[in-house]
Amino acid sequence: MNNNVVNTGVNGLDRVLYGGIPRGNTVIVEGFPGTGKTLLGMQFLYQGAVQHDEPGIYITFEEFPDQIYKDMKAFGWDIRKLEEENKLRVITLSPEVLMDQMMKPDGLFEHLIHEIGCKRIVVDSISLFQYSYASIEEQRKVIYSFRNTLRKYQLTSILLKEMTSVEEENVSFINYLVDGVITLTLKPYSKNYRKRTLEVTKMRGSRIQEGEHLYRITDEGIYLIPALSMVEDEVITAPVDTVPTAIPAMDRILGGGIHDGATFTIDTNSKSNYRYIVTAIKSGRIKAGQKLLIFLSSLTTISELESNFKKYDLDLAQIVKEGNITFVEHYRRNVPKEYKDAIINVSDLDNEQYRRVMNEQIFSMIEQGVANGEKWFVYYDLNTIASQRGSEFVKLYFGVEVAKISSLGVSTLVFTNFKELGEETSGFVERSSNGVIRTWVDGNYQFLQITKTPNGTISEPLLVEKIDEKPFIRLV
Amino acid sequence: MNGPQAMLPLQLECTLYFENNPYAYETVDGLSVRLGRKAEDLEKILEHLVSLNIVEVIGKGATAIYHYNQPELVHGVEV
Repeated sequence: MNNNVVNTGVNGLDRVLYGGIPRGNTVIVEGFPGTGKTLLGMQFLYQGAVQHDEPGIYITFEEFPDQIYKDMKAFGWDIRKLEEENKLRVITLSPEVLMDQMMKPDGLFEHLIHEIGCKRIVVDSISLFQYSYASIEEQRKVIYSFRNTLRKYQLTSILLKEMTSVEEENVSFINYLVDGVITLTLKPYSKNYRKRTLEVTKMRGSRIQEGEHLYRITDEGIYLIPALSMVEDEVITAPVDTVPTAIPAMDRILGGGIHDGATFTIDTNSKSNYRYIVTAIKSGRIKAGQKLLIFLSSLTTISELESNFKKYDLDLAQIVKEGNITFVEHYRRNVPKEYKDAIINVSDLDNEQYRRVMNEQIFSMIEQGVANGEKWFVYYDLNTIASQRGSEFVKLYFGVEVAKISSLGVSTLVFTNFKELGEETSGFVERSSNGVIRTWVDGNYQFLQITKTPNGTISEPLLVEKIDEKPFIRLV
Repeated sequence: MNGPQAMLPLQLECTLYFENNPYAYETVDGLSVRLGRKAEDLEKILEHLVSLNIVEVIGKGATAIYHYNQPELVHGVEV
């Protein structure tokens, strides 16, 4: 556990904050009534006391503590018991008394902090200071002094702040004084519902996952699901065999690379440069000692592949000579002599004959190889299949073919263009894939986003930067 | 408020408030807002509760803070 950060008690929020709130930070949690500020504050203290042995104090200016004791029982949290164990205190006093006692040497505040060895503090709510101190200047001075005192005692603090519609447009001075700002909102959703969102807009000393994250109030408190994370596909992530793609940023998102048996689809638009992404993935497989089945396309010729592989220090002719690559060719083209034996030409075959060749020659070759302990990887050019075999063929047999390949523990990279494939077929292909990588050009930049993975992580749109060294692209 | 009998309901209200909220730290004015009772009535009650050791006081005058004096509970006896 990183000792420099304090877990918030909300797992999803800790993930958004890459571990938690930096120790000693003062953080505003702001929101309209009913957004769960009090609950978030109390969850921070309760879990801190119970799970991390960090005593805490909840200071409420308006709410009766006995009401808080009752409310928190709904989540199974016995606050009174923690008070008896000197792990928590729910204190009520007025802002003036608090400030008066904070300023006094050996005052009540200092006494309470030392009495339980307080590490965390929540103030509900900082907005009440505006009623006790008339001018903005005075409020700013008092809150500045308040923040400094919290720092002096190295308390990790959450200050709850009531939001008003005026404040929505004007950033409060308090937000400038503190180390972090977390905003809770309730937004209309669909016709009859509202969605709860949390956004971290500031956190000194920590990276943050930007964006609005959805949360729910459950029987166990606030439960937050960080944006861009989806349900984990346990069936596919279960095997430990993962092969890196040679693109470090992509491997980080994929949890190490592409798992054996997984089907990944790469969706590109006509302008985007997919060559390095695809070659990086293929080269990773070759370097891991796997055999490849590659569907050639009208654009991907043997000589182009040769030059692409060379960039990754791989000699295609040599790999073919060793019997480690087989090609499926849909076109009648001249090919260098040394590649002839590695090519299965299907250009003259109708769909029925093609299926027979796929089953009897190609799949059985892979099946036999796997039975003999070989590892295989398939690069499936769906654009070529769709153009040469028709979209009906894709709808009828694509799912069957990838399922057959996957059942052998063989991973597949499906290359396609969803736009050209049409909505219905591409939706079907997407559903049949365990992972989807999208790359497109927008203006003068190319982007890449991993929109589906077996481990449930999906990425934000990343910029694709061309670099001079391997793997020739960097995802930023 | 006149005789001691008339003070009894307010005394009970104050005692219950401090007992149910053992970490409430209140000035007379603060408690007056909290309970919706007159400050001058509460002042006398609080003085009385201090004399009974139910409530403790920190400081003097208008800024005096009253809080619950938690009874020492004996959880076990060594024989």
